[in-house]
Amino acid sequence: MSRRKKILIANRGEIAARIARACGELGHTAVGIWTDNEVHARHLEYCDEWVRLPGTTNAETYLNIDNIMKVVKEYEIDAVHPGYGFLSENTLFAKRLEDEGVVFIGPHAEAIRLMGDKAVSKQIAQKAGVPVVPGTADAVKSVEEALQVGEEIGYPVLLKAVAGGGGRGMRVCEGPEDIKKQFEAVGRESLAAFGNGDLLVEKFIVNPRHIEVQILADKKGNVYHFFERECSVQRRHQKIIEEAPSPFIGDDEELRQKVCDTAVQLAKSVNYDSAGTVEFIMGEDKSFYFLEMNTRIQVEHPITEEITGIDLIACMIQSSFGEDLGIPDQEWITRTGHAIECRICAEDPITMIPAPGKVTGFETNFPQGTRFDHYLYRDLEVTADFDPMVGKLVTKGIIRSVALRKMKKALEGLLIEGLKTNIPLHKVILNDEDFVAGNYSTNFIATKRPQEKVVTDVNYTSIYRKLACIEARRMGM
Amino acid sequence: MRTYLIDSEKNELIVDLTKTIRHSSSLVEFEYSTLEDNKIIDTRRVFVRQLAGQYFTSTDNIRWEKMARQQLPTELLNVDRVFKLYYGFKPSGLAGGGQGELLSQMPGKVVKILVNEGDEVKKGDTLLILEAMKMENEIKSGTDGVVKSVQVQEGQVLDAGVLMMEVE
Repeated sequence: MSRRKKILIANRGEIAARIARACGELGHTAVGIWTDNEVHARHLEYCDEWVRLPGTTNAETYLNIDNIMKVVKEYEIDAVHPGYGFLSENTLFAKRLEDEGVVFIGPHAEAIRLMGDKAVSKQIAQKAGVPVVPGTADAVKSVEEALQVGEEIGYPVLLKAVAGGGGRGMRVCEGPEDIKKQFEAVGRESLAAFGNGDLLVEKFIVNPRHIEVQILADKKGNVYHFFERECSVQRRHQKIIEEAPSPFIGDDEELRQKVCDTAVQLAKSVNYDSAGTVEFIMGEDKSFYFLEMNTRIQVEHPITEEITGIDLIACMIQSSFGEDLGIPDQEWITRTGHAIECRICAEDPITMIPAPGKVTGFETNFPQGTRFDHYLYRDLEVTADFDPMVGKLVTKGIIRSVALRKMKKALEGLLIEGLKTNIPLHKVILNDEDFVAGNYSTNFIATKRPQEKVVTDVNYTSIYRKLACIEARRMGM
Repeated sequence: MRTYLIDSEKNELIVDLTKTIRHSSSLVEFEYSTLEDNKIIDTRRVFVRQLAGQYFTSTDNIRWEKMARQQLPTELLNVDRVFKLYYGFKPSGLAGGGQGELLSQMPGKVVKILVNEGDEVKKGDTLLILEAMKMENEIKSGTDGVVKSVQVQEGQVLDAGVLMMEVE
């Protein structure tokens, strides 16, 4: 084992906790960050050293490269893990670290740059022989140009940010009217979120499946895939339920092989050297197109860990230090069973609008085979400053129906008080016959509208139970 | 003991604790009733038991459910509604606001204001865009009318419950 390294975790929430635990396990020193917006940052629990970042907005703290570089110098940091979001796919940040001789736990800066630009990544994919969705290669400069492209490739089209990701900065346009209405807003949202307001226009595939392949590579040129995930249950183009393997690919091992090999081929074409994900969109005819490559660890990485047994975060850290991952070859990597993840978000279960609030109570009562990556605790205040996701509930079963059964029970056993969450919505989806049959596309939420089946009646018994607990506590019990 | 539960839309529930029986140091039985127009519309018994530092509740003293431990909370959740709890009395000033008053439903930043004072608006028209948790949300008019006043500016950061605009 190599020298103990000092790793700065430039993130917060559940992923910061996940990374800190991996650092500890590998014998490295985890340095955690906290800001004045989250005085009780639970991820610090797993960190050896704590650093306060001054400032109130994300731009002043988690997105402030200069400040983070200052911390890197002052605390003699050997490596930085960016997690997901924030600076995870920021070429400038990766480059700055590289220049300072600090390890960026992620791919080399050039891979981030190439894959971070949707237009460039599309060209690379085409060159590598990977099929892509029809649309513009470069940013459209005006509404007029967007309208013209819409006319050429045919509606519906998708307006999306060149620098986007995680579903933000994307809108479907059914016709020219929508483009006129949305163009400015999407541009503004992209500029605010990513510092780049340039937009692309591309063909929108009807009833698509979102299939993505987990990639893990080392510094010696070995690129492995860890099979696919399906993330078709989405709202506002953000995933809420993911599963591995894909029920749509199902037993079609030939197709699975083809998708996974294509992903590896693409990763190799940019000399990829870390954990990453190649996202595809799959049509009803099982033809698939390259969507984008996320050059970071993803939110939904646990389901892949559950079916393959790999520890992606630990491997990502080892890979960045040029260490051996202990993987003999691709064939050695196998999968068993089925894993599902439900993203638990602080939001209204019906409108799906973020609902900041304070957690007044939190307990769990999970079935065997449950994993909950989260940063919840009693008195946690979920503020509008950050993403509404507070945790990821993951269950695993020997077959899909077992994983579903466990997930239903786990959702019942996830007791969060005081904070509106999407747990009631997940319960409805888990009971939807099409979802249970594995028969769903990314339009699932929009067409089946499970949010309308959430029962919102006043549940007298539930209210009495809660009031009774308060009363019992008052009585000193 | 009476508890008033009032949600953000000023819907209220009145729940009376009508009976308390302490069976042992770790088991208490309560009876609760909900009132509507001074009439009881629902009455149920609830047992609370403490086990290994956790609270469990039951309606029949046979089947038990684990509860999330809470310090004395001031809010209570029912699926998509958070009720504020008021014990013993109902605070004044909670009578409903005018329907044309536009209050911010969550903390956020005003990205763009699309109307001016004096503009005529229809129900469903977008009045302003509020950014919260990295998403842009269109705030729409709930009524037909004229914009009487605009109380916020573009770029302003708001708490929940702030008056943003009045439509009459």
